[in-house]
This record gives sequence, structure tokens and C-alpha cells, in this order.
Amino acid sequence: MSDTEVPVAPVEPARRRVAPFVVLAVVVVLAAFFVVLATSSSGPKDKVGIVDSPLLGRVAPTVRSTTLDGVPFDLARRKGSWVVINFFNSTCGPCRAEHPELVKFSEQQQGFGDSGAELYTMLQINNDIDAVNKFFSDNGGDWPIVRDDDGTTNVAFGVALVPETFIVNPDGVVVLRWAGEIDSDMLSRLVQQQRDIYEAT
Amino acid sequence: MLAEGVNGLFGHSALIIGLAASVFGAGALATATLLKDQRLVRAVQGYVWVALIGAVLAVVVMERALITRDWSIAYVQKVGSPDTPPLFNFTALWSALEGSILLWLLLLAMYTSIVARRYKARMADPLVAWALVTMLVVTAFFFFLALGPTDAFQAGGVPDFAKCCKGPNPLLQNHILVLFHPPILYLGYVGFTVPFAFAIGALVTGRVGEGWLVETRRWALFAWGFLTVGIVLGSWWSYEVLGWGGVWAWDPVENASFLPWLTGTAYIHSVMVQERRGMLRVWNLSLLVATFSLTILGTFLTRSGVVNSVHAFSDSTIGPYLLGAFGVIVAVSLGLIAWRGDRLRSPGAIDSPISREGAFLANNVLFTLFAFVVLLGTVFPLIVEAKDNRQIAVGSPFFDTMAAPIGIVLLFLMAVAPVLPWRKASTELLRTRLFWPAWCGAGALVLAVLLGATGLQPLLAFTFAGFAGGSAMRQLVLATRRQGYRGLLGRTNGGMVVHLGVILIAVGLTASNSYTRAGEFTMNKGDTVQFAGHSFQLNDVVDFTAPNRVGIKALVAIDGGQAYAPAISKYTAQGMDVGTPSVKTGLRYDIYLTLENGSKPSTGLAKVKIFIKPLIVWIWVGGLLCGFGTLLAAFPGKHRRRPTDPVSAPVPLEETVDV
Amino acid sequence: MSSAANLKRWPGWVLLFLVVACFLAYGTAKDAGPLTPEQRVEEITKHIACPVCDGETVYESANPASAAIRAEVKAQVAAGLRSDDEIVAYVVQQFGEQTQLLPKASGFDALVWMLPAAALVCAGVGLFFAFRRWKRNADAIPDDDDRAMVEKALAAEVNLDGS
Repeated sequence: MSDTEVPVAPVEPARRRVAPFVVLAVVVVLAAFFVVLATSSSGPKDKVGIVDSPLLGRVAPTVRSTTLDGVPFDLARRKGSWVVINFFNSTCGPCRAEHPELVKFSEQQQGFGDSGAELYTMLQINNDIDAVNKFFSDNGGDWPIVRDDDGTTNVAFGVALVPETFIVNPDGVVVLRWAGEIDSDMLSRLVQQQRDIYEAT
Repeated sequence: MLAEGVNGLFGHSALIIGLAASVFGAGALATATLLKDQRLVRAVQGYVWVALIGAVLAVVVMERALITRDWSIAYVQKVGSPDTPPLFNFTALWSALEGSILLWLLLLAMYTSIVARRYKARMADPLVAWALVTMLVVTAFFFFLALGPTDAFQAGGVPDFAKCCKGPNPLLQNHILVLFHPPILYLGYVGFTVPFAFAIGALVTGRVGEGWLVETRRWALFAWGFLTVGIVLGSWWSYEVLGWGGVWAWDPVENASFLPWLTGTAYIHSVMVQERRGMLRVWNLSLLVATFSLTILGTFLTRSGVVNSVHAFSDSTIGPYLLGAFGVIVAVSLGLIAWRGDRLRSPGAIDSPISREGAFLANNVLFTLFAFVVLLGTVFPLIVEAKDNRQIAVGSPFFDTMAAPIGIVLLFLMAVAPVLPWRKASTELLRTRLFWPAWCGAGALVLAVLLGATGLQPLLAFTFAGFAGGSAMRQLVLATRRQGYRGLLGRTNGGMVVHLGVILIAVGLTASNSYTRAGEFTMNKGDTVQFAGHSFQLNDVVDFTAPNRVGIKALVAIDGGQAYAPAISKYTAQGMDVGTPSVKTGLRYDIYLTLENGSKPSTGLAKVKIFIKPLIVWIWVGGLLCGFGTLLAAFPGKHRRRPTDPVSAPVPLEETVDV
Repeated sequence: MSSAANLKRWPGWVLLFLVVACFLAYGTAKDAGPLTPEQRVEEITKHIACPVCDGETVYESANPASAAIRAEVKAQVAAGLRSDDEIVAYVVQQFGEQTQLLPKASGFDALVWMLPAAALVCAGVGLFFAFRRWKRNADAIPDDDDRAMVEKALAAEVNLDGS
């Protein structure tokens, strides 16, 4: 009964004429409201899989940072190779769970030599560096880990919930965004798919 | 009984007995009233008691299961843990949906039996009987929920301690207010069932005159008082636990408790118009229906997962049932109102907008508008999603923008309405009566500006708050001068105490929203920083461990005095980080410290955020005054107007205090 | 007494309005100064919903995503190239519409702003007509029969009360 037209009804002596319309309006509004509530979806809205991003088809945002080894990192300089960026946080369960798959993927791509995709881990802001180092030394993974101490990269890629994985083509254009856990087969397949599309054009 | 343990068995049995008792009770009473069978009517008392026993037993058994850590029950696995501290293990009952429904059920059964007992002698009166039938039907619905969709006693299987039994959400186990806030809020929520039931009784019997109001007025008042105190306690909890220094975030769960408060507040004002003038009958019935159905709707919105909230500690499949209940309540009530429409025609007329009833009317328009805005904002994302399949958000900036002007106008009404006579006011009278209250408002403004307050909206709010405070004080001073301490009793005077409480809350909210200052400092052990005229020295950063959590805390001495210890804890079972602020409370402002991520005991480094939050304490005091004023209002005043005094007589110009 | 009564006539009220007007004007004018960068960051982050946590703003939230957005907003405010609205728009563009807490005032979303205004207007118009009608009907003066009826009804009500 949120409808503010209701107060008109009781204070209107000529209810004979006005009341039916007021009642009708109230009933219609309430019925519509009811339908909206009844049809609204509930439950988690987080999606795992290929998701949309305003970046798709555009040159990737500028990423200038350093890796944990202290080496400067500039995404624009990676042009010419396929780049896979995995957004990661050492405290996130799914990130830890997918890690062995990334190790597998990295080994696979290294097998292709220079044409293999380069894998980078992008940290979240405030991620404890010691914890990250410890996790990688315990669980393997020799690819560069890039810091994002001011959060710019995470914001620029619109990453809120890690893990997320982006594929960037040799022109530096973002071609795919994957939200949630991924396995090595799927990732290789997606990279290959993009490669085919890229080479066809 | 092989499938379920003794607690599950007892719990289910209690619920089944309660369900049966309330269904039979409702059926018997309805039949008896239709057939005018007095013997059967008397038998209903027994059913009500059995239903109450069922509800009490269910809660007791669940508490027993929680305390004895009976892992055979799924709910205990969900909210219990081997090492939850006793207090929070006790409150774990209402830390998830299933147990909350049990608490709701218990309070509802209590209200039902109080109604049954209080009106025992008058159960032959069809109006009372139908009211009790309504209460029993609602009780039966909640017994049904507790047995089916939200079965708290479901068998849990063998607990896998690696995954289960982690205890309540960490946010629900780090402050004592968890013990008070939910039950008191629920007392208010559930309490509005009683006036609703009487409204239904009035509609069914067609006795829609003013008789039923007398019954419901005090019930509505009590429910309103509990709801108010419950909401304020909830804000306090949020302030003390959530760690961002705010008391109100327009979160869907907060809105869900605020909506019935708004319509309930509108009701306890407009009901006076009906009592005095016999008007607004449909309107008052609608407000009661709205209030009750909004409690159900709010529960649906926040518990079904259709809107996301920081307070929604569980999702479930209860949604369709609650939505169905909401639909049935609204449809039945509207149908009844339409059916009785001919009898609802009110005879009176309001002579002038500048009168007490005119002010109440304006009050109702504003409160209803406020409720409409809050409801619209809360469900608007759902509407957009249904229409365009887009996800949008409507958040605090929207509600703040809308609430500020409405609140300021309401404060103005609060200032003017208490001095208005019924029927009609002359300019002369307004000029005289409002003179000193208006100067109170001017004084508040001057004081605020001298203390450095700026901005049009906050200054208007302070002015009208002072004005409204002056009006309320004027009424109280006149009444106590005449009657001594008894001048504080009665609806009008108690109401003025409540007004003072609401004014304090409004001032506290305005000041803390407008003038909070915050600074973030990275300090090494031993460092001192200056902020807002205070010095903060970081004495130490230390690790600490408790049975269910580990964490770090910083010891920060304010002005070289006592050390305050904001902390971050990791609840080991849930793996969840929870910040715990530390607050130095003051009459003028609170100093609110939080520890931010990135602090490390090993390096002696701490990131501390300091908030200076003005007048926060006024909100808690205001809440207390609201509760106290409600109590005062529930006592009858000394000079009750004789009901046979003509109300249509001209109002004398001199003070008419006890209206 | 008479002087007090006189005071409550126009002189006292005029003085009151003067005082209020002066202080309101002074207090409002003093507000005009620019916001500090911290205040701007606070304002902006309060207008952005945390993209992952339910029902919290970026200002409140402790989530890493919110921390990143806070840092980004801080950097952009410090750079001074974008206005508050543009910064909000930038973040919303990256994270989706559901992070924008202030609904748009265009398209279908504008309804959330317009419906309350429409409701207020409806209520106002309704009340206006109601008062006009009441005024017309107000000539009916209760006669003795009416008073007797009221008395009876009220007496019954007192009995109902059980007190």
C-alpha cells in the first residue's frame, strides 16, 4: 500500500465517482509489483565463463609496473606476442585452486617456444607480497608476477572478483575475458581459437 | 528414531503440535463465532496455550541443541561451532534464517496468547474473536514455515568438520548488541500483527467505527516503541561492528525495517484524527495493512536473495511462501475494505488545513511519501531488471537526496503541529504559542553557526529541530507545571518525549553525516600524529589470538591518555577478515579508530584511520528517549478528556494542554 | 504581561526572521569553499557500490576491489584532470552499471526520481480538492440528535475499553 494516491480516497466525500478509479489504480500497481517480485531472479549472480567487457576489441589499458623480481613491466612492450593476464590474490580460494592448471598451461605454452603465449599474474592491491612469494615457491609457477600497488590495473580491467583471465593479442588488443576459475585445456583452446581468428583476418 | 536425534524429534513434535493447535484454534474459533457457540469459544484458550507451548518448546530445544552442540541437526552444523563463546552460541539461534523464524514464531505465539488472555472475557465479541482468528492464522503460517521451507530441525547427517560447524557469521559474534537488537526489533515487527488482526476483525464484523481503535492503539504504540528501539540498536551495532563509522547505509535490510516504521508512525498519528473526528477510516485501516504487509514484504526481499544486502546472513527458498503470504494479506485486506466500503464512509470534515488534524494529514502525506520513496528505491533495481534485463543499483546517495527535504519538512511539522488546536487555528494563537519555540529554533541555528556548522540543509535541519524541540518542551513544561511529574504521562506528553528523542536522532544524523572528518595515517611504533586537535600516539602493534580468531591490534593513545585498540581479526573457521573499530565516545563528538589492511606487527607499522564523528551519542540517547517516551505514552494521563465532551465546540484561545 | 504579549506580535517575529535569515545566509555562504582532495575522494567513493560485496559502498568496503577503486579515485583526484562525475563514470564504465549508486536521471531510470514527485503532486492536488469539498460541506451544524448519537457511541466506546 505504498501508493500515495490512497490518501485521496478516504478524504474524498464524492467517493462514488472517484473511489473505483483509485481502487483500480491501487490494484493494478500492486498486481504489477507482485509480478515483478515473483519473476525476479534470486541467488548468486556471479558468472563463471566468458563474460563481456568494455575492453573487448580495444587496445589494452596502459599497464606500467614492476614484477616481484623488481623487473619493470610494460604491457605495451609485449606487443608481438600473445599475452595471458591472470588476476590473482593469494588469499582467494578459487585462485589457489586453479593454480596447478595455470602451471600446466604455462609449461604447455613454453613448449611452443617463441610463439607460445606469455602468462602474467597480476596481483590485487594490498596483497601481502611475502604470502604471494611463499605461495608460488610452494606451488610452482615461474612466470612473472606483476604488482598493482595502486590498483590502477585492476580498475582499468574492471576486475572485482579474482580470479579473472584476459587474453591480449599481438596487436595489444584485448580479445577475451574469462571470469572465475579456468582449466589449462580450456585456456589453451581459447588462446588457439583467438589465434585462428587473428590469423584469418 | 533412528533418522533423527532426540532434539530433532522434540523440535519437530513441538512444531507439529503448535501448527495443529493454531490451525484447530483458528478453525474452532471461526466456526464458534459463526455458529455463536460459546462453549467452543472457551475451548479456544486451550489451543492458544498449546500453540505457545509448542513455540517455546521449539526454541528451548533449539537452544539446547546449540548449547550441547548436537551436530545431528543441520542448523547446528550451520551456525554452531565447537568453540563459539557461550553468549554468541546462544545468539546463534537468530544468526541465520531458520532460527530467526523460530524467534519470530515464539514472539508471535506470545503476542497471540497475551491477546487471548487479555480479551478472555470478551471472546464472545465477534470483533475480538476474528482478531484472534487472524492472529492464529498468521501463527499457523509461521509454524508451517518453521516446519517446511525453513526447517530448523532438519537432520544434518554426519558432520564433516573440515567443511561445517564454523559458527555464526563473524559479524554476528563480536558485539553484545547481537543479543538485544534482533529480539527487540522482532518484538516491534511481530507486534504490528496485533493491530492488523484487530483491523481485520473490524472489517469482518463491519464494526469499522472507532471501537476497534481503542483496542489497537496501545498495541501499535508498543510495537512502534520496540521497532524504534530495535532500529536504533541496529544502527549502533552497525556503528560498532562494521567499521566504516556510519550508522545507516540505506541497505535493503535496513530499509525493510524502516518501511513498517514509517507507515506505523503515520498510523499512530492519523489514528488520533479518527478518534477525535471519526475520519480517515479507510486510510487508517490501509496503514495498518500496509505496516503488517511491509514486515512480510521486507522479510521476503531480504531473505529470498532477490536483493543483496550486507545484513542478509543467509539466503533460502522461503521466498515464494513469503511473497504468497504478502499477496494473500494484501488481496484479503483490499477485498475486505472494498466489501465494507459503504460502512467506511466517514461523516466528518476537516475545517482548515491549519489545525491539528490538518497537520496530521500533512504528516501522513509525508510519511507515506517517505515510505513510497524508500520502497521504490529498494525495489527499483528489480523493476529495471524485469523490464530491460539490466543490472542497476539505487543506493544511499539517492535516499539521502530524497530523505533530506522530507525530513526537514517533517521537523517543521513537528514544530508546528503540537501547538495547533483541533478544528481551526487563528494567526493570533499561532503567533503567541509558537513564539518561544521559534526562538529555540533561532537559538539552535545561531549556536550551530557559531560552532562552525555550514551548509543550507544541515542548518535548516538544526533550525527546525530546535523549533520542534521548543514546541515539545513547551508542551511538557505547561503540562508538568499543571500536574507535576504526572504531566509527563499520557499520550500527548509521552508523545512529546518521543518527539524529543526523534529530534535528537535527527540532529545526530545530520551532524554526523555532514561534518564527519576522516584521515588515514601510516604510523610506526612510537609515532605521534596530530588530527583535528588531538594527538594520536601509536604505542604498539601486536598480534593476538582468541579461541576462534587471530588478529592484530594497534594500541593508540589519544591525547596521551588511555590507549584505544582498533583491531583486525581473522575468524579462522570462516577465513573472514573483520575489522573491529575502537571508539572514544564523547558528548560533542566520537573519535572512531579503525585499523586498516597493511598493518604489520613484525615491522611495527600500522595504518590507522581516524574519524571524528560529531553528535553520534545523541542518536543513542534519542533512541533511549523514544523508548522511554513510548512507555510514558502508554500510561493514561491524569486529566483524560471525558469522552462525552463535545469536540466540535469552539476551542478557547488559552492553552488547551491535554488534548 | 502586556509587553510580553506585544513582543509576541510583529516586532518579536520580525527580529526572529531577521536573525534566522542572517545566520542562514552566513552559514550557507561560508560553505562555498572548494572541497579538499580527501573530501572529494570520500564523496566520489560514496557514490560507487563495491562491485563484489553486497550492499556496501566503495567508501565502506574493505574488499581489495574497493581498495583498488579507492586508490584509483585518489590518484585521479590528485591528477585533477577529471571532475567528480567523470571519475564516477570512469569506474562505472569498468565495473558495470550496478556500481552506480545514484540512478541516472534519463531514460527509464528517471522514473525513480519522477514517481515520488508525481506522488507528491497527486497527494497535494487530492488534498486541495478534499479541503475545498470539506469547506463546502462544513455548513452542516450538528443538531441535538447528532450530539445524542455521539454521546451514546462514545459511552459504548468507554465500556469497550474495559476501564
